[in-house]
Amino acid sequence: MKIRLSFRLNGNPIELETDAERRVVDLLREDFGFTGTKEACGSGECGACTILVEGESRLACLMRVGQLEGRSVLTIEGLSDGKHLHPVQQAFVEAGAVQCGFCTPGLILGTIDLLRRNPRPDREEIREGLSGNLCRCTGFQKIVDAVEKVVSSPAEGSDPCPVG
Amino acid sequence: MPESLEALWPALEEPDTMVYAGGTDVLVRLRSGSGQPQQLICLERLRELQGIEDHGDRVLIKAGTSHARILDDPIIQTRLPVLARAVKSLGSPPIRNMGTIGGNICSASPAGDTLPPLYVLQAEVALRSRTADRRLPIGDFIKGPGQTAIRPDEILTGIWIPKNPEFNRQHYEKVGQRKALAISIVSLAALIELTPAGMIEDIRLAWGSVGPTVVTAPEVEAVLRGRPLRLEVLKEAAEATRRAVSPIDDIRATADYRREVAGNLLYRLSLRVETSPEILPR
Amino acid sequence: MTTFSPDLANFSVRFDAPGKVTGAEKYAADYYGPDLVWAGVKRAGAAHARLKGIDCREAEKLPGILGILSHKDIRGTNRQGIIRRDQPVLVDDKVRYPGDAIALVLAENREALGRALGLIRVHLEPLPGVFDLEAALAEDAPLIHEHHPEGNVLLKGHLLRGEVREAFQHCAVLVEFVFQTPYQEHAYLETEAGWARMEPDGSLTLVASTQTPFRDCFEVAEALGLDRETIRLKVPACGGAFGGKDGITVQSLLALAALYCPGRPVKMWWDREESFTVSCKRHPARLYYRLGADSEGRFQALEARLHYDTGPYDHLGGAVMTLGLEHAGGPYRLPNIDLKAWAVYTNNPLSGPFRGFGVPQVNAALEQTIDLLARKLNLSPLEIRKRNAVVAGDQNAIGVHLTASTHLQECLAVLETHPLWTGKEAWKASAGPFKRRGVGLACVMHGQGYGPVVPDVATAKIELTGPGCFRIYSGVVDMGQGNSHTYLQIAGEILNQPQSRLEIVRPDTRETLPGGSASASRTTYTFGRALIEAAQELKQKIREKGAELFGAWDLEEVILMPSVVSHVPTGWKIPLSRIAGELAPEDCLAIHSFQAPIALDRPSPDPALQLHGLPHLIFSYGVHLAAVEVDELTGLVEVKKYLAVSDCGRIINPRIFEQQIQGGIAQGLGYALTEEFRVEQEKVLTRDLAAYILPTALDLPDMESVPVASFEPSGPLGLKGGGEIAVDGPLPAVANALAEACGIRLSQNPFTPERVLRALREQGV
Repeated sequence: MKIRLSFRLNGNPIELETDAERRVVDLLREDFGFTGTKEACGSGECGACTILVEGESRLACLMRVGQLEGRSVLTIEGLSDGKHLHPVQQAFVEAGAVQCGFCTPGLILGTIDLLRRNPRPDREEIREGLSGNLCRCTGFQKIVDAVEKVVSSPAEGSDPCPVG
Repeated sequence: MPESLEALWPALEEPDTMVYAGGTDVLVRLRSGSGQPQQLICLERLRELQGIEDHGDRVLIKAGTSHARILDDPIIQTRLPVLARAVKSLGSPPIRNMGTIGGNICSASPAGDTLPPLYVLQAEVALRSRTADRRLPIGDFIKGPGQTAIRPDEILTGIWIPKNPEFNRQHYEKVGQRKALAISIVSLAALIELTPAGMIEDIRLAWGSVGPTVVTAPEVEAVLRGRPLRLEVLKEAAEATRRAVSPIDDIRATADYRREVAGNLLYRLSLRVETSPEILPR
Repeated sequence: MTTFSPDLANFSVRFDAPGKVTGAEKYAADYYGPDLVWAGVKRAGAAHARLKGIDCREAEKLPGILGILSHKDIRGTNRQGIIRRDQPVLVDDKVRYPGDAIALVLAENREALGRALGLIRVHLEPLPGVFDLEAALAEDAPLIHEHHPEGNVLLKGHLLRGEVREAFQHCAVLVEFVFQTPYQEHAYLETEAGWARMEPDGSLTLVASTQTPFRDCFEVAEALGLDRETIRLKVPACGGAFGGKDGITVQSLLALAALYCPGRPVKMWWDREESFTVSCKRHPARLYYRLGADSEGRFQALEARLHYDTGPYDHLGGAVMTLGLEHAGGPYRLPNIDLKAWAVYTNNPLSGPFRGFGVPQVNAALEQTIDLLARKLNLSPLEIRKRNAVVAGDQNAIGVHLTASTHLQECLAVLETHPLWTGKEAWKASAGPFKRRGVGLACVMHGQGYGPVVPDVATAKIELTGPGCFRIYSGVVDMGQGNSHTYLQIAGEILNQPQSRLEIVRPDTRETLPGGSASASRTTYTFGRALIEAAQELKQKIREKGAELFGAWDLEEVILMPSVVSHVPTGWKIPLSRIAGELAPEDCLAIHSFQAPIALDRPSPDPALQLHGLPHLIFSYGVHLAAVEVDELTGLVEVKKYLAVSDCGRIINPRIFEQQIQGGIAQGLGYALTEEFRVEQEKVLTRDLAAYILPTALDLPDMESVPVASFEPSGPLGLKGGGEIAVDGPLPAVANALAEACGIRLSQNPFTPERVLRALREQGV
């Protein structure tokens, strides 16, 4: 069954027609080339396909394309302005939170969701906030360090966690 | 994707129709199972199914409310901590952003995280069809694993939860294979009315994952009612619990383990009251 | 390439991080392209059976199906493998495990592919299966490979030193311990993926998530009957591997698919369930230990029997067993040993390389046995290790002379004064209600490289580019561990250039030179040495050209500085871009090979053991401490604190070293507490990431890594391998902590709440 969709993707208005049965993760990767949205389980168990919908984290492997209608969607590719990294991205780079990197986009978007709910999480709250994102390389410690970095050193007078 | 109930009713009448809200359960099952329904309806846009309302002695959580919203709600945090604790243990942050309380109830999994709290709180589900509304106690609504009393022409619109102010202690513990993204192996929800002298005036208990549906055990409550909250009393209750539950073996744990721990979890009720974050002012 | 440039002066920030945090970095799974063909595989689903026929008639009729291929479509040997080529690309005779590939389907889209796979009927004649490691050794056991001369024994090994039986008679104390370990799944986030295309000129381009690009080309060519020179394999960023991509996964199947539809790109990407069913795992093992010591706790004799379940195919199982055998006595002086090991074929899941490579299993048994012995003698776990740990100049347990850096005693000394050790009694005493606490130790040692026979070689190429930057061509895969960043750092140190002036070319069999596998804790050591030589040679050429242009009297007057050469006496500078223009093209390049040194000892005369890697010359060492809390009501074990003290030579990039140590500990803690890949004959019970339990951020503690001062003279800038050693410690450290916390010792891992609670009940807790 075909479905017509209009939504915002990384700030740009999108209109398209596609099969209603398709998953959001496939649409983003195959039709838009936004391959930063990873797939690693297909069943909501790993967080690699995390995207932000209206600023909230969602798992793109458990969404049908119709659920994007009228929504504002952000993938990892839309997070920085192309010149400067977003503070969370910068913190991941500086803290050594990136190894193979396959979980990284999901973790960064998961971090943004966490900081939106709780701008000053402690280490345990950070671990809780990222508990839906599996990482097999790092043991999570440097990822937690990275989030702490964002929390403790927001740029002067700016929102530590701007989005979009 | 209907945006109102009015738009939903005709679609519900189509043959071989399935509905989902968050998709964190239905879409996973469809992926691993065989066969797709003719029609799959997403309920996430139904405005009538969103939100939490304070009705004085009761709280209404509408069925399409996400777990994350429930966790963020001050009424739930302060008046229904047993439910808040259970929701906090459910899935993971993105799963809680997507999944809904209505979905958790309708999936009717023996391991459904919100169910033991809803049983001890004596919540009622609200059902609606094109022509009628009805309410059912949660225990009457859930019939078995994956089975509920919902009719094909009905949807679950919400859950009514009494505030149960006389119970001044609320407790929840879940045992899983890990601390997040965990399916419950056994869980316990408890409401206790405790006197200043430490006597159990009244108590309600419910266990998850130790039977085809949530297990409640009046005989265990009877062991505890009117007695001091002390280890030797809890030991007696734990033994009664092990007789009351009917767990099974699965990939996550054996029946023996579940039976043992279902009793053991009662001991945690003895921990000093001031260490328990679930105390409510009387 | 991204345009972001964080401060790249001091190599503290990995060069690949910006591309990964922005989603710009492409992995094998991210290759698509117009006119894409989706390839997928029909799997056997049976454990042991004879293939009688494949019926594709219904599937072929589906719209969107381009072709369905079987073994009949393969022109080569149809066999893959590294030491024994015993695994078919597509089954032609027998199914030996449920993951065996039967048919390859090519489709226009994923939906058609899925439908076709469901419609293929495979006719199998069931054969009795072999599911128990030791039953596989019985006289009348069904044979997995009928023509293998040793029956179901893939490889066996025996190491004998001294007079074990006599030594045991004189021991003051003796303990026996039996331990069993399960399958562990790598669970890299990027499941097996690749992309292929037959080019107009008849060559074949492959893109794959692999640790072994050059070896893969030989394997694919032989199995499919192709000329190896026509195959080009590129390895983009890799989403984790840990040994699980050391060997063929999608490569041969993709190449076969591409041959069938020339000119069109073909994509294959296993979903998580397929990856779990098909991919190799850490070998399950049964370990029988007997250890004796004198009254002072000095080890006198060790007897061990090691059984490794290698599953249906070799897949480096013999090498895994051999490394386990070599490490079975650990980093201790042991005058008398009798060690026997078997790697056994079964119809269970495929076993293969996994970070640690046979060592986590034996170390779990050995380090627990040592604690049992210490308890009998009333010695502390630290004291008994101090009395037996090797020092430089010793012979280790299997008799190899330790001529390389050996600083285990220094590790033990650091641990002895660490607050986690000195404060452990107070920490244990402050456990809350229904909780018990314990602190456990385990030593670790890990050999690096391939051993004495297979040459451990890497070839580095470095180029001065037109703009005056340096390009390093690395044929060694970086699957996330950060070796390629360390290459930049090594070159930067020699050439005196900041990170921003250096770039890397990822492995590509056409552009880069063979570097060997990304495995065996060897990637930085071997390639790093080759790179140092190449960088020094290029530096010399640049300085000579500079001297010529400056008219310098002496080469010593010319130094290399960031982006320029400088003439010290005058302060004149010439940009490197100009040097690049002045040099002949061949002088802008330097290429160097390095072969790692080998041990001269021969603990075993058996040439098969030598071929499979015994012995090693260079070892890293360490001691781990785990502080655990056990819940008496549920049996849940939580690791609250963790310390790893390591001797991995000089640490040239502390952050990358720490990443490796923390990551290894995390995988080791998963192995200790939750991870167990389970099957019931042909049925996989732990099908996906919901059933196979990886630790989340909430399940792991903060970990402290302390490297001791150490320098390995043979290593690049003094380093030794650090990629695997950390995974060897957590399981025994947690086991020993658990024993200290509540007096229980389990016979198998993981230490699930259920197993722990049962043991507590047996203890009467």
